[in-house]
Amino acid sequence: MKDDPILEAREVSFGYPDGTEALRKVSLSIPRGKKTAFLGPNGAGKTTLFLHFNGILRPAGGKVCFDGRDVRYDHRSLLDLRKNVGIVFQDPDTQLFSASVLQEVSFGPLNLGLPREEVWKRVNGAMAATGTVHLKDRPTHFLSYGQKKRVAIADILAMRPRVLICDEPTAWLDARHADQIMDLFDKFNGEGMTVVFSTHDVNLAYSRADYIYIMKNGAVIGEGLPEQVFKDLGLLQQAGLERPWLVDVYEELKRKGLAVKNSWPKTKEELFSSIAGKDFSLSRARP
Amino acid sequence: MLSIDRYAYSNKLRHVHPAEKCGFALITVAVCLASSNRLTFILVILLMAGLAVFRAGIPLPFYLKLMCVPMSFLAVGVLTVAISITGENHPFLWGLKIGGYTLGVTGPGLQAAADLFLKSLGAVSCLYFLSLTTPVVEILAVIKKLRLPPLFIELMSLVYRFIFVLLETAQKIQVAQSSRWGYASLKTSFHSLGQLGANLFVKSYHHSQMIHAALSARCYSGDLNVLEEPRPLSKRNLGMIAAADLVLLAVGIWPGK
Repeated sequence: MKDDPILEAREVSFGYPDGTEALRKVSLSIPRGKKTAFLGPNGAGKTTLFLHFNGILRPAGGKVCFDGRDVRYDHRSLLDLRKNVGIVFQDPDTQLFSASVLQEVSFGPLNLGLPREEVWKRVNGAMAATGTVHLKDRPTHFLSYGQKKRVAIADILAMRPRVLICDEPTAWLDARHADQIMDLFDKFNGEGMTVVFSTHDVNLAYSRADYIYIMKNGAVIGEGLPEQVFKDLGLLQQAGLERPWLVDVYEELKRKGLAVKNSWPKTKEELFSSIAGKDFSLSRARP
Repeated sequence: MLSIDRYAYSNKLRHVHPAEKCGFALITVAVCLASSNRLTFILVILLMAGLAVFRAGIPLPFYLKLMCVPMSFLAVGVLTVAISITGENHPFLWGLKIGGYTLGVTGPGLQAAADLFLKSLGAVSCLYFLSLTTPVVEILAVIKKLRLPPLFIELMSLVYRFIFVLLETAQKIQVAQSSRWGYASLKTSFHSLGQLGANLFVKSYHHSQMIHAALSARCYSGDLNVLEEPRPLSKRNLGMIAAADLVLLAVGIWPGK
């Protein structure tokens, strides 16, 4: 899984002017065509790392590689990188600059120098995929937070990047909208897009990600498949993370000898089907 | 200001071509300013009010409230024209003698004041018609078609967007302050307001830097290019605009007053 990374950081260090060391020799690789989640407390360096992935920030030490090649920082190379790696910022208000949704979404593809018809096609496609077509003529400042978030994602989708990076996509969203956004990611991922997101929600990372990195104080302190990462109780404690509730419940069932399967459930349905015993609801329905 | 913006997006004339609305408003302003016939001013005021209220569906109370906004400026301006001081013996309608001078209102002065008042109100109602029926974005698109410098247009569009960001930020800070007794007394109010101002500046600066990063992340390289939706001009509307303005112009330059 990791022999074919699309993005790599090699010993990347970065410090902000106020003296904060945001990244300390971070080395990691993002598997191609997968969904990778970044977990870790606030100030762990996730956002800073993401800004390195499309060249907004330039590492003070080490280097970033995209698709097997070192990222270069001249104008042309940067545009090329940003075409392929799109970032959805955490606060949509920092991203939405245009007065209408249609114009907002068209900004990226127009910058790529595409012909108008192609831009129209992509803008319509991106708005359809994010369910924002009906907001087309609305000014961005009259949108609700969830709508803004979806428009911010459409912004990036319209550029058709190969990697979609999303900084806390579900922060401040209600459960239903958060689910919708994660379903969108699954859809894009199914179409071959590599998805990277950061989150504080262990349950989300556990059920939705293919691979997980855990960061703290500007360094990667753990990584692996979700099942591996959440098995390492020492690591979780160090990062201040809890175990996903699905795993907690399953382990408790297993301890009491009530679990029939021998693998961690990824969804509520999987958990239910691993509980031993007769299906009472059926027998009760037909007495 | 926020409500005007809301109406601009939700009024019934929203889908009329913006160039038609811009052209209508600006030509009518020009006719109104060039004319010297009081009837023209009154016609313009009535026409614009009628269009805004009956065609665009702007609620009458809101429209009247808007019309009251320029009243204080107008009143001051009109008073200075209406009231004259002179040492000569004019036929004053009403006057106050102070020494050798008279402070008062003359017939022609009052006429001129009334004309000025109506003319200004007419011009204002044209601009209200435009801003109540046409979103800023579409006005910008028209300006763009007129080939004004892109820098000017981009600045306008960013300023427009950030007015709302700024207002929202200010409002959030204000709520946060008042929920902690920031405006409990006059003294704390001044203190809180000062802090709000200072913080707003710092926050806006930070925000602008974030925006720049976000724009760069989408391959921004100096030009804010966005799509415009194609919309055909309506011959019927153009005809009506031409007819209305010709009538106004004819009334305006009618010799017999």
